[in-house]
Amino acid sequence: MRGLKYQMKSVLRDKFYLMTFLLPILVAVALNFMGSIDMSSLGELHFGVLENELSPQTVTWLERYGPVTAYGTREELTAAINEPSTNVIGVRADGDSLKTAVSGDELDIFRQAAATLPALYERREAAGQAKIQTLERPDIMESLQGIFIPAVLIVAMFMGCTFNAMNIISEKEDGVAFVNEILPMTSSQYILQKVVVGFLFGSLSSVVTACICFRLSLQNLWLMLALIVLSSFVAALIGLFIGKFSEGLMIGVVYIKIVMLVFIAVPILCALIGVSGPLAVVCNIVPSQPAFEGIMALSAGSIGTAMKDTGILAIHCIAWFALYVLIADGRPARE
Amino acid sequence: MGKGFCALFKKDCRMLASGKFFLMAIGFLALYTAYVNLGYIRFMQMEPYHVYLYDPAETQASKSSLVQTVPSMEVMDTALLADANGVGLDASAGEVRVVLYKGAEHIDRHRADYALSLLEPSVSLPPEVLGTNTPEQKARKEITCELLFFELAAVGFLGIAAVLFKEKGMGVIRVHAILPLQKDLFLLSKLAVFLLSDLVFAVLLTLLNTGLAEGAVVLPAVLIQTAILSLLMALAGLFCALLLKDFRQFTLAYLVIAIFAATPVFLSANTSVKFDWIHYHPFYHVYMGLKNAYFGTAISPVYYAGAVGTIVLLFLAVRFAFHRETGKEG
Repeated sequence: MRGLKYQMKSVLRDKFYLMTFLLPILVAVALNFMGSIDMSSLGELHFGVLENELSPQTVTWLERYGPVTAYGTREELTAAINEPSTNVIGVRADGDSLKTAVSGDELDIFRQAAATLPALYERREAAGQAKIQTLERPDIMESLQGIFIPAVLIVAMFMGCTFNAMNIISEKEDGVAFVNEILPMTSSQYILQKVVVGFLFGSLSSVVTACICFRLSLQNLWLMLALIVLSSFVAALIGLFIGKFSEGLMIGVVYIKIVMLVFIAVPILCALIGVSGPLAVVCNIVPSQPAFEGIMALSAGSIGTAMKDTGILAIHCIAWFALYVLIADGRPARE
Repeated sequence: MGKGFCALFKKDCRMLASGKFFLMAIGFLALYTAYVNLGYIRFMQMEPYHVYLYDPAETQASKSSLVQTVPSMEVMDTALLADANGVGLDASAGEVRVVLYKGAEHIDRHRADYALSLLEPSVSLPPEVLGTNTPEQKARKEITCELLFFELAAVGFLGIAAVLFKEKGMGVIRVHAILPLQKDLFLLSKLAVFLLSDLVFAVLLTLLNTGLAEGAVVLPAVLIQTAILSLLMALAGLFCALLLKDFRQFTLAYLVIAIFAATPVFLSANTSVKFDWIHYHPFYHVYMGLKNAYFGTAISPVYYAGAVGTIVLLFLAVRFAFHRETGKEG
């Protein structure tokens, strides 16, 4: 218990460690305010025209489909069309009709829109007469946030891993690891002390992040807490592995980077591609996958899936802990 | 002086090799190349809207071949559910009714009018193509540029700091303070090692991901931008490493760069989402320099003047901090 007190003292003195745990919370707050960023322009058609070339009626007609920007010279218009970050379609008068210009590097959807624009212009009188039935669908940004928020939670849980790994590596570099060798402490006490700090702060950071991002019912709240606690524990254990196998800070950073990439990439790719069957089972070897799936299931109200994922995480906890105890024989047990 | 520089350069190379820095760079090169060629290019595709027609009486005889006929409204509903960007046309009641899932207002109007126009297709001039890149070339250049920028900005910054902290711990700075060598050589050898490794990384990443022919064309301009970014980040890393006491703080800096600095820059530079304040973000200009190099767009001389000025200022600041450090150690 006293050892744990020392570990906590060392963490609380290092303001940068505290900031590491605060970072996901800041991102969660930023994500909550993401609605204020105008993302609607991402899939929109943008038109570029030459000043005073098209009639006001034609410009108004174009504005039905997307924003129109007028350029002073042909060179400016060409530069805007070729600008790689946008998909501007150049529109020019061609007698009674229109002709369009594209850069050629656009996605098919924009090229098709440019190719069919003159035909739409020809039948502009008929446009707007047909009856249109629109069906409701979830907001695209909402579904993106649905992936971002669990990803931020995974990062928050991962902070315990970063903390533990850096803590052990720093101790190795400073020679504190040698002092630990002669302390009257058993291997399991040492492991427990090291796990607890990263685990506690990782869990705390994740709980605050979850409180900012989710509004859950009481039953779901308990499941979310179980998911957070179990995955923070696994992350903290993985931090111990990284610390054990890293010979120096730089190698430690590389291992952390690789683990973090795998932790975030596997669940996001699984969610985007919709992995199923044996591959989905294999993906569960990465602990962030059941955590991510569980959080997604909870936000969608699927309790069964969340409970299954909690079970998988519990197995992870036992397996990783047993594995670490087995390989931690390098540190002699002393009573 | 030349001999001293060579000795320091060799020592830094050995140190990076023993710290598996080069191995890590090769590993990430392989990872990024696999991601670009096996993942990114496949995801970055967006087909034109699919149009589904329910026309039991076959009243639409002149419809385009792009229209897919469905046997019932149920089949159309299922198709639209799976393909929410698609447009359904119901001609069962005589007049054609458009059915679509709600999206952005302008896009919905365009989707509806486009779908209706396919019922009476007319031949019009194909759009004039003004650029030289295909969609795949653009996607490859864009992602290569992003990966190179991220790798140089984050890893270069961390790498040089890790090396300096290790040397601090080993007492190399203390030894250097009494060596009969110019003190600036210590800094210059480090910058040279990181610059060279970044340039090699940029060459390989560009050639492997944009193709040999295309890569060779853009490489000279890309290497100039890589040199600017590499020097800026290495100097910033050196400066922070000399000022800060602990390397652990750099893991935080790495996360800050990854999440807060890079995301708005990538969003503004690669999409039509433009933040008003992005021009005050220093990374935006450096990223745009690299991006313009990949796309062959002209780069303003003001940018070069600003970059050189910043590098000189940073070098002077690092030199001052290093002299102060060696003074303390000596």
